[in-house]
Amino acid sequence: MKRVYILVLSLLMVGNMFAQEKYLTKEGYVSFFSHSIVEDIKADNNQVVSVVDMETHKIAIQLLMRSFMFEKALMQEHFNENYIESHKYPKAVFSGEMINFNPDNKEVEIVGKLKLHGEEKEIKSMATVTVKPDEVIIKGDFKVKVADFNIKIPRVVVNNIAKTIKVSYELHHKPYK
Amino acid sequence: MKNKFKIIFGLLILVMLGLIVMINYYNKPHVNVKVKAADYELTSQNLLKEYGEDEVKTDKKYSDKIIQIEGEVNKISTHKGASVITLKNKHMESSVICHMQPEENIKSLGFKKGQSVQIRGICTGYLLDVIMVKCVFVK
Repeated sequence: MKRVYILVLSLLMVGNMFAQEKYLTKEGYVSFFSHSIVEDIKADNNQVVSVVDMETHKIAIQLLMRSFMFEKALMQEHFNENYIESHKYPKAVFSGEMINFNPDNKEVEIVGKLKLHGEEKEIKSMATVTVKPDEVIIKGDFKVKVADFNIKIPRVVVNNIAKTIKVSYELHHKPYK
Repeated sequence: MKNKFKIIFGLLILVMLGLIVMINYYNKPHVNVKVKAADYELTSQNLLKEYGEDEVKTDKKYSDKIIQIEGEVNKISTHKGASVITLKNKHMESSVICHMQPEENIKSLGFKKGQSVQIRGICTGYLLDVIMVKCVFVK
């Protein structure tokens, strides 16, 4: 009996070793929204790379600043050339983890570090995590202060851009082969 | 009296012209990849090779530029109503991911894996792969 038990146990362990724990997307969605009395500005990025490890609950996200698409070409140009300085800082990187992840509870807090425009800040975000056999969906939002990332907004347009920007994300990860 | 009227009228026209210029500037259109010539023309293999050698330098050269790229179709998929063509060579890890304009969807259906294709689009940089947006098929 004991022998069978050990056999089953070792099989389970082998099974675990080959289990599909890492999930990846190269088409994640991140958008940001700025509301001000003068105008609302929104930009979408549909080429976000994100990897989530369902064993360690760690998550790593990378995106290109130039992949943010704006409605107005002028805004996109100002964003890349003057504010975010994409030529110097082409990427934004987030690495963090899901705190106290429990498959029965869809609401999960994600805590981690966001590196953007050469600055690094801790971010906390409440996310909805949906785990399916062939997909892990992580969705949520958080707010960032423009000043926290050393982004300088010229006086002339100071009323056009919000001090706090809302960032939303929706990442549909597939099993990583 | 008549002179004063002329001056006010002239100023008004100037203000109007200024406003029109400002509005046009504010609403200036996005780059039209369909009609604009490419800044660079190369194969997906050479583009990936350059990125592999020096990512920072290569990114400064190509990002935000219109690139015309020739490569082998590895995957045809769709994302949010637009097709995505992945160009990849057998012996390379990375690929060039081309996010096509929705108008190109019908043409995308005509391509098969392994086929050679020419695509023009705007390079936004390199993550795990080179990313191209607003792409169109050449020809």
